[in-house]
Amino acid sequence: MSISVLVADDSKLSRRSVIRALPQDLDYTISEATNGQEAINLLAETTFDLLLLDLTMPEVDGVGVLEYLHDRASTLNVIVISADFQPEKQKIVISLGAKRFLRKPLDKEELAMAMFELGYL
Amino acid sequence: MSIVLPLDEDQRDALQELLNISMGQAANSLAQLIETKIDISIPKISTVTPNELYGLLFETKDAFYTRQSFLGDIHGEVMSVLSQSGLVEVAKLMDYEEPLTKEDIQEIILELCNILAGACLAGLSDQLELTTNLNMPTLFQPEKSNFSDLQWQHTLVMEVQFIIAISSFSMRVVFCLDDESLIRMKDTLDELLG
Repeated sequence: MSISVLVADDSKLSRRSVIRALPQDLDYTISEATNGQEAINLLAETTFDLLLLDLTMPEVDGVGVLEYLHDRASTLNVIVISADFQPEKQKIVISLGAKRFLRKPLDKEELAMAMFELGYL
Repeated sequence: MSIVLPLDEDQRDALQELLNISMGQAANSLAQLIETKIDISIPKISTVTPNELYGLLFETKDAFYTRQSFLGDIHGEVMSVLSQSGLVEVAKLMDYEEPLTKEDIQEIILELCNILAGACLAGLSDQLELTTNLNMPTLFQPEKSNFSDLQWQHTLVMEVQFIIAISSFSMRVVFCLDDESLIRMKDTLDELLG
């Protein structure tokens, strides 16, 4: 099974760590966005199976990307991976349609569990 | 005479991300204490001279200032700039009663520094697997301090900002590292990136 994944994070280190943490059982077509606006542009022109989204990003932040998807009634699966894990922030992103909220630094097993729960594994 | 040791793009990116994670942990600690959402900025990393640092501290008008040194595998100084505006609202969230005494204000400032600056440094050290020990913060007045006494010509400054959305309170934390510590940190970042 191959799935197309968009990894949106302004940090190269973090994008690399997210890509490395993806479970090996699947094949991936991976695209990367370095800020929220780039993510929105890619989402407008390409169909993805999964969005792995950071929140603290320049230009448009992760919440802005979620609002964009929410306004379009998108059914895309979004897993938020963020260092800002305050309860209030988690509530906001879940209310905007994110399926899971994972903390940075990312735990490989937590990502695998989230992907299992979303039916990818 | 100190040498300026700029970070390359990958080192800067990695340090910014590690700081971002540390800020998240620090903000969460305070958010749990005051049951209020805290906004965090994207960390800024720059190299400044003591004079430029002085200017940086005065970017916030009507503020309280604290400084605290840290020692260990890397050493330097943490300076925090807390806005006077909104501090009363934060005090209420921390269960202080009005009117606030001078001692209350001092206690609140030092507590905020311990929670935010302390957790930030602890998170950063932890991720870099470096040992640091942070001394107690003390209040100071930059206009009465002689920054030319500092033992460096340039330093790496890592600046983060916390904003409490429901009041007008904000706090900036500036981490200053000297060249020797910067070399150690660069080596550690390279190991992480390798």
